[in-house]
Amino acid sequence: MAILATAGRDNGRRRTLQKRKSGFSFAVPALLLIILFFVTPVLGLLLRSVTEPELGLQNYAELIGSGTYMRIFANTFLVAGVVTALSVVIGYPVAWALVVMPRYWSQVVFAIIILSMWTNLLARTYAWMVLLQRTGVINKTLMGLGLIDTPLTLVNNLVGVTIGMTYIMLPFVILPLVGVIRSIDPAILRAGALCGANRLQCFTHILLPLSLPGVAAGALMVFVMALGYYVTPALLGGTANMMLAEMIAQFVQSLVNWGMGGAAAFVLLVVTLLLYAVLLRFFGASRIG
Amino acid sequence: MKKQLVATVFTALVGLSGSAMADEMVFTSWGGTTQDAQKTHWADSFTSKTKIAVIQDGPTDYGKIKAMVEAGSVTWDVVDVEGDYAVQAGKAGLLEPLDFSIIDKSRLDPRFVTDYSVGSFYYSFVIGCNKTAAGACPKTWADLFNTVKFPGKRAFYKWSAPGVIEAALLADGVAADKLYPLDLDRAFKKLDSIKADIVWWDGGAASQQLLASGEAPFGSFWNGRLTALAATGVTVETSWDQNITAADSLVVPKGAKNKKAAMKFIAHATADMQQSQFAMETGYAPTNLDASRLMDEAVRRTLPDMQAKSQVNADMNYWAVNRDEIGKRWYSWQAK
Amino acid sequence: MLLDFDKLGAWKWLLVGTTVLVCLFLLLPIVFIAALSFGSSRWLIFPPPSWTTRWYGELFSDSRWLTSALTSLQIASVVTVLSVVIGFLAALGLNRGSFAGKELLRALFLTPMILPVVVLAVALYAFFLQIGLAGTTPGFIIAHLLIALPFSIISIGSALDGFDKSIEDAAILCGASPWEARLRVTVPAISHGLFGAAVFSFLASWDEVVLAIFMASPTLQTLPVKIWSTLRQDLTPVIAAASTLLILFTIVLMVIAALVRKGRKS
Repeated sequence: MAILATAGRDNGRRRTLQKRKSGFSFAVPALLLIILFFVTPVLGLLLRSVTEPELGLQNYAELIGSGTYMRIFANTFLVAGVVTALSVVIGYPVAWALVVMPRYWSQVVFAIIILSMWTNLLARTYAWMVLLQRTGVINKTLMGLGLIDTPLTLVNNLVGVTIGMTYIMLPFVILPLVGVIRSIDPAILRAGALCGANRLQCFTHILLPLSLPGVAAGALMVFVMALGYYVTPALLGGTANMMLAEMIAQFVQSLVNWGMGGAAAFVLLVVTLLLYAVLLRFFGASRIG
Repeated sequence: MKKQLVATVFTALVGLSGSAMADEMVFTSWGGTTQDAQKTHWADSFTSKTKIAVIQDGPTDYGKIKAMVEAGSVTWDVVDVEGDYAVQAGKAGLLEPLDFSIIDKSRLDPRFVTDYSVGSFYYSFVIGCNKTAAGACPKTWADLFNTVKFPGKRAFYKWSAPGVIEAALLADGVAADKLYPLDLDRAFKKLDSIKADIVWWDGGAASQQLLASGEAPFGSFWNGRLTALAATGVTVETSWDQNITAADSLVVPKGAKNKKAAMKFIAHATADMQQSQFAMETGYAPTNLDASRLMDEAVRRTLPDMQAKSQVNADMNYWAVNRDEIGKRWYSWQAK
Repeated sequence: MLLDFDKLGAWKWLLVGTTVLVCLFLLLPIVFIAALSFGSSRWLIFPPPSWTTRWYGELFSDSRWLTSALTSLQIASVVTVLSVVIGFLAALGLNRGSFAGKELLRALFLTPMILPVVVLAVALYAFFLQIGLAGTTPGFIIAHLLIALPFSIISIGSALDGFDKSIEDAAILCGASPWEARLRVTVPAISHGLFGAAVFSFLASWDEVVLAIFMASPTLQTLPVKIWSTLRQDLTPVIAAASTLLILFTIVLMVIAALVRKGRKS
């Protein structure tokens, strides 16, 4: 009897071990949350883009047909592209330096990067608003150094948006790149040098190609983030260079035009998910993050 | 009912229901020194008199009013809006009719009273100039539009509203009594000529900051903001030549949750005492006809209603009718 | 040789130079804002005519700032707890499970992180207006939970990857119930992942602006919303004072995180 009971319990345990294999039930709370408060609202918004003010695709037609909106699309891609390029070009040498630097100094640099990343987004943007003014510190310094005679217009235009966004995006390029460059085996480079390659050849033929997946992943990530950015363009940009996210917010908040807002959101969503799919396809889900 | 149930369940689940004060209402205005004065002279005294707490919110956003009314979820009770908007929104059904058994309109300036709104205060667009930052100060609208004689950035109000288009036409030589209907083609052509030198301000505080820092050494401003700026020690010169007047109004969005408190608040804010105190601090003119006798004569003389010589009144009814159309053109011009 | 600091030759100076410039660039706004918060100019003229602590005085005398900070803290705390619990379960499922569409599910769970926040904000705002959650604390929490959850799933997931599951199975075979085994064996073993999840979830909510702007009501404002609305109405140096305190808060958090990491190692 007792033996039977024990055996039964053991069987039960083994069963629980096996049952746990499925494990789907653990994901249910998260799944419910996502379906109820993420998938449903987003689909609801998309539905409104084809039902308001009446059934049809007229919102999309207006979006594509209007010069003003097309300019905003073009501007959004331009800003995202420039910010991505700048972040990669500036971020690459920093990531590289972080890998090879003496440990103490690389820790200091890491701390600075993390500090800037964790500092409240609005605080950083506010600082740039004041720094970049015509009468701000940067213009005053440049004029004091005799580099310029009249103050440059650095804010309320593309320059301001680019500076502010590059500032925010840099860590997102640097940190993943450090991991990629660190994982490169120095022996390969040594071998290259032994075969007579000079430093430039080593860089263009070995280091750069080996780190290219990291560069591409980081760049794509930054590009996607930049496309949908709202706060920084809204505060540092001018009336003539609105970005897509701002336009969506304006449709909904100021113009109360859910149809157009939904349509613009859908366009942004599709572009983002496409790029996201590319990212997943080439770099795997676990790499993002 | 279902909505309430959902909300209640969630609140219970999370266990975080913010206990709202029994009597409170929300007042929304444009922020900065003007709203500070409205809080001090209208809201605080209202709270001590009625025990109704007044929560300050802002800035005023017409899109938000429309969104809240359409969604049936109105969180603003009294809103300070521009006069032409008040006329238009009243007609569009976005506002509650005011209860004139609570608000005494007999002593309010009738120019600003409609079924849905009463005047909040009354102001002028004037030419302001920071004497330390500017080489020379423009005196007329034509000066302000003259980038050869007065080089540098100039500040203008960003949103589509009475003021900038009138200024452009006056600068182009249109006679003050021939302004309406507005010749928009001519106005935008004139604005094009200085577009590269315009810095837009989107609110009163921003306008003060632009002028005080020298970011834009001159421009078109609300007169009260210049008064406040001068009080902080900045050397401001104000030119009242052809000052363009407009008024703000107090309105209650349709479906406001605390309608009764809102009416009481408007009655209190437009009373002679509150109007005079507000005017003395801000430099805006009162809309209560009895307010002026409670005011210091020296201050009184600096208010917009005393600058009647060469004064231009923006036509609120014209704007109320044409607001949307002008707005459309305005924003697409700005975005170019 | 390119990965050896001493053999980089002239390249070394290029790398070091860029790094120094980037560090200055990253530090500039942070240092500047702290300096600005002590400047006496109401109109943000810098360098200011004199120095003052007046803006800190104004910050502390205006109860709205404190209220909004408390609201932020409250929302971020609830979000953190929910995010870690739900994220732990989801990570268990994704990590251990073997069901169809697992990778699809993982991608779905991570989507809120990659989707432009403004799209989510607008969609949720519309949805909450319909079901009566707009401008409520639960609405706020749900919104922030959506963007915090991916961080939890990633952080806990990678910790679970590094944990040998057979230890948990051994505990079960020794007589522990599955939940006992998970809570007493697995949870302590992946505590660093849970801690990371908690920190990221907290920050995701604490610092979040865009969703917050849409979720806020006049009586329910988080600190970023308060800063945002003050910024739009008024560029007062009080914002610089508030920002400086936030930066200090960040530094404290970083030091705590570093100490925890050090403690784990030793």
